[in-house]
Amino acid sequence: MNPNLILFYSMTAVLKGREALRRRGIFSRVIRTPAALRRRSCGYSLQVRTDINEALDIIHNAGVQTAGTAAADSP
Amino acid sequence: MIYLDNGATTFPKPRAVVGAVCNTLMRFGANPGRSGHRLSIRASEILFRCREQAAEFFGLDKPENVIFTQNCTTALNTVIHGLLKKGDHVVISSLEHNAVLRPVEALKDEGISYTVAEVVEGDDEKTISNFRSALRENTALVVCTHASNVFGVKLPAERIAALCRIYNIPFCLDAAQSAGIVPISLQNSCIDYLCAPGHKGLYGPMGTGLLLINSDRIPESLIQGGTGSLSSDRRQPSILPDRYESGTPNLPGIAGLSEGIRFVRQNGAENLRARELRLISLLYEGLADISEVVLYTEPPKADSHVPVLSFNLKNRDSEEVAALLSENYDIAVRAGLHCAPLAHEHYGTEENGTVRVVASAFTNHSQIQACLSAINKISKKARK
Repeated sequence: MNPNLILFYSMTAVLKGREALRRRGIFSRVIRTPAALRRRSCGYSLQVRTDINEALDIIHNAGVQTAGTAAADSP
Repeated sequence: MIYLDNGATTFPKPRAVVGAVCNTLMRFGANPGRSGHRLSIRASEILFRCREQAAEFFGLDKPENVIFTQNCTTALNTVIHGLLKKGDHVVISSLEHNAVLRPVEALKDEGISYTVAEVVEGDDEKTISNFRSALRENTALVVCTHASNVFGVKLPAERIAALCRIYNIPFCLDAAQSAGIVPISLQNSCIDYLCAPGHKGLYGPMGTGLLLINSDRIPESLIQGGTGSLSSDRRQPSILPDRYESGTPNLPGIAGLSEGIRFVRQNGAENLRARELRLISLLYEGLADISEVVLYTEPPKADSHVPVLSFNLKNRDSEEVAALLSENYDIAVRAGLHCAPLAHEHYGTEENGTVRVVASAFTNHSQIQACLSAINKISKKARK
């Protein structure tokens, strides 16, 4: 399964990332990070339908640090 | 009641602020950033919206650098205690509130010294020169009020900040009496840290404050604890704002603060200040005509004052005058030292304090006239 989850270090970063995507017309959803991945993040992730690399570029360009990506069930 | 104690906290609050507090308590009362359920995420969104509001209002491009604190004092303590180390020196102004004076005084026990730079009302050049003279090789921070909470005198904050930048010294601004009243933009500013109460000129509820970090120099956190993030790590997260926000935040208060900032943005800080200054000027002019009244500052002006005015009646204790205004005329003002003994020493009022009147967006012309009339009557009784 291709990665569709973006992990973050803080909830503020999650919401800032979501806002950056929204401004570019990309839908994303805040979800609780799967338990196995939670230790290296803030416990919340953005689930995206779009190409994850495009989403990451937008988020990073907005100055938001991410904690990695992972695969999970589609939204 | 005629409420003119807006320097302590603004009252009343805009209806939208009250509504946001109630709505949050009734509909979104979950702990933000802790759980995965919808309500917790919604609560986190409320915090984030307020961060965005504050960041936009103060011209900061990073909402994560907006830190929620309990009040302005906590924000100031975070910067002062979080930056200074043994052997450091700090410069403050002669108009400081105890929110700055007491932390730097306490740090003397830890080998940190401080110098007080004299503020010269009406002479910014002299004030800046005094700050320059106070700097030392080991000066690690300059922290000063934007405007005196007692006398309303405004300091040339941007110019002091620019001076600090030349010497690579961090500058922290105490905007307790200016946030929401004097336009402040951190964009292209030399202000490194901005500390503001949420419950005064920003019209939020009590128990809210802001620290805006506009620097790569990140102070240590005063407290450590649960942030909802990186929970398996025993160390405090370094990422902002989590570094400073351990424990459950004041969600209803922050929801209210968000609406308070929106209220100020809708009305315009400059418009609010101009209107309030007109009212305080009216009071000043009226008081100047009463022979028993002692005034301490020049007539208030937009570029050098905020809408805060101190006065006394000759041979009357300031607390006594405030009590008479309260008991006989139902007018709320604050008397005494206003937690700012340094400012009172500067103006020679440390023995008796002063009576302080502060306007807000909800103060009107007739209230100021009623206050003036009451002071006039009290002064006539004193004359007899």
